[in-house]
Amino acid sequence: MNDKSSEEQLLEFLYACPVGLIECDAAGDIALMNPHAMQHLLPLAGARDASNLFAAMEQHAPELRSIAAAHTAPTGRVCDGHRIFVDLGPGRRAQAPKVLACTVVKLAPDRLMVTLSDISQQVVQEERLRQADTWFATLLDDVDEYAALAIGADSRITSANACFTRQTGYESVSAIGRNLADVLEGDQSGGDLRVEEQVKIAERDGWHLQEGWQQRSNGERYWCQRLVVARFDYDAPSPSGFSIILRDVPRRQEAVDDMRRLLTCDHLTGASNRRHFSQVMEREQGQWRELRQSLSLVVLDLDYFKAINDTHGHPVGDAVLCRVAEACAALLPPRCIFARLGGEEFGALLPRYDQIQALGLAEEMRAAIADLEIQVPTGPLRVTASLGCATFDEVGGSIDALITLADERLYAAKRAGRNQVCHSSARAA
Amino acid sequence: MSAESFEGVSRDALEAMSVEQRDALPFGVVGFGPDTTVQIYNATEARMSGLDPFTVMGVPFFDAVAQCMNNFMVAQRFEDEPDIDAIIPYVLTLRMRPTKVRLRLLAADGATCRFILIER
Repeated sequence: MNDKSSEEQLLEFLYACPVGLIECDAAGDIALMNPHAMQHLLPLAGARDASNLFAAMEQHAPELRSIAAAHTAPTGRVCDGHRIFVDLGPGRRAQAPKVLACTVVKLAPDRLMVTLSDISQQVVQEERLRQADTWFATLLDDVDEYAALAIGADSRITSANACFTRQTGYESVSAIGRNLADVLEGDQSGGDLRVEEQVKIAERDGWHLQEGWQQRSNGERYWCQRLVVARFDYDAPSPSGFSIILRDVPRRQEAVDDMRRLLTCDHLTGASNRRHFSQVMEREQGQWRELRQSLSLVVLDLDYFKAINDTHGHPVGDAVLCRVAEACAALLPPRCIFARLGGEEFGALLPRYDQIQALGLAEEMRAAIADLEIQVPTGPLRVTASLGCATFDEVGGSIDALITLADERLYAAKRAGRNQVCHSSARAA
Repeated sequence: MSAESFEGVSRDALEAMSVEQRDALPFGVVGFGPDTTVQIYNATEARMSGLDPFTVMGVPFFDAVAQCMNNFMVAQRFEDEPDIDAIIPYVLTLRMRPTKVRLRLLAADGATCRFILIER
């Protein structure tokens, strides 16, 4: 082996290394770096100087400069696996967030050795493990109190333990041979996944855990943690069956419910608040992506509301808002969310509603509002609302686009004369 | 603008050139297939990178040689855009030293060979 070939080999080794390596001085000026390091650093740098480590990291990890400066010893490990969360490039909202781990070692007062590696997948796994840990910990606290079921690949129940009977009221013997979804027909309030949808995700990911209402044989509801785990036979590519574990979690105390109400509800109308609405929308977006489960959004704005406040005063305006919220929320099935989005603007999130169903419900809401009579000293006061309706399928699952489209249609309904629902692009245009 | 310059040369002309003609160009030329394996690696590029063209041919370019371009700024564009002719400023790590360059990305719908030209 001559010198040239060994240098070439060394270069090949560094070009192909799947971890970023950087050597720089105390000010961050890079002397040497391999391509993998540049793969991450250049997009991070944007318009800034990619040949200086600290300049390149200025936006996503400005702390790196101060961490290095704070390490006053002439040598030693400055940081180990410091995490940098990156939010760049197209499709960044659709993918798991990119996370880089950065380790810096000080070799001399003016010489730093830095590694950068992409640990995005590891972070996703950690998240799942943490969830599982929490769950298994609660499980072990009370090891007798979980119901265990097994199903075959055809979803028929093959076994059920004694706790299953105690918890659900169904005889385990009579459950065996039946379809899992028929036995565990849960209450779908809150847009929870059906058990067969959980099985589908477990088939892909290995397991799925969710908390929600479950029904006993006598119709009583209880709060239940439901874990579905795929079972594999040795080298088989697809699961031979699934295990389902149900845990009866004592219902949260009233104080907790009060706290939740405070955090999720609008103080005036009792409808959900904007923050809770956004959270549910994000959760539903995940379900649309995973299962193409439809979601519709109805936005509504009261017509000429400012005139009511001006003529009758704010207490009457507030009473109108409360009556509208009450009337609309009463029309919604439990898994839907009705929220106050702003002054006199409300939104309804309708999981599993397609466009036609959502339109039907929006029309019912419009009619219910038009039927309201609010007593004021001068006689009964009536209000109307304009509504816009849009679904995830129309906008490819984008939350921003869903809101924009529903808003456009709401304004089209206003322009077309108010007290109506607008749902089609033609009228919104 | 010459038909053999960094900015002027066309994708078709690059593909039609002999190995010697491409080696004589003053800028680096890398040609690769839809699976990113390297089909063309000219002498100029070999001098700049310090790699022997024979060891580079046939390897997946963005994984084994040019990881610095394996991001949404370069590699992802070849995935997303069937037709590209774009010049972008870039920083490569030729012989592990950050080196400012200009890249020209060339791809044509229907043609299997894509090119990246590198000008120091």
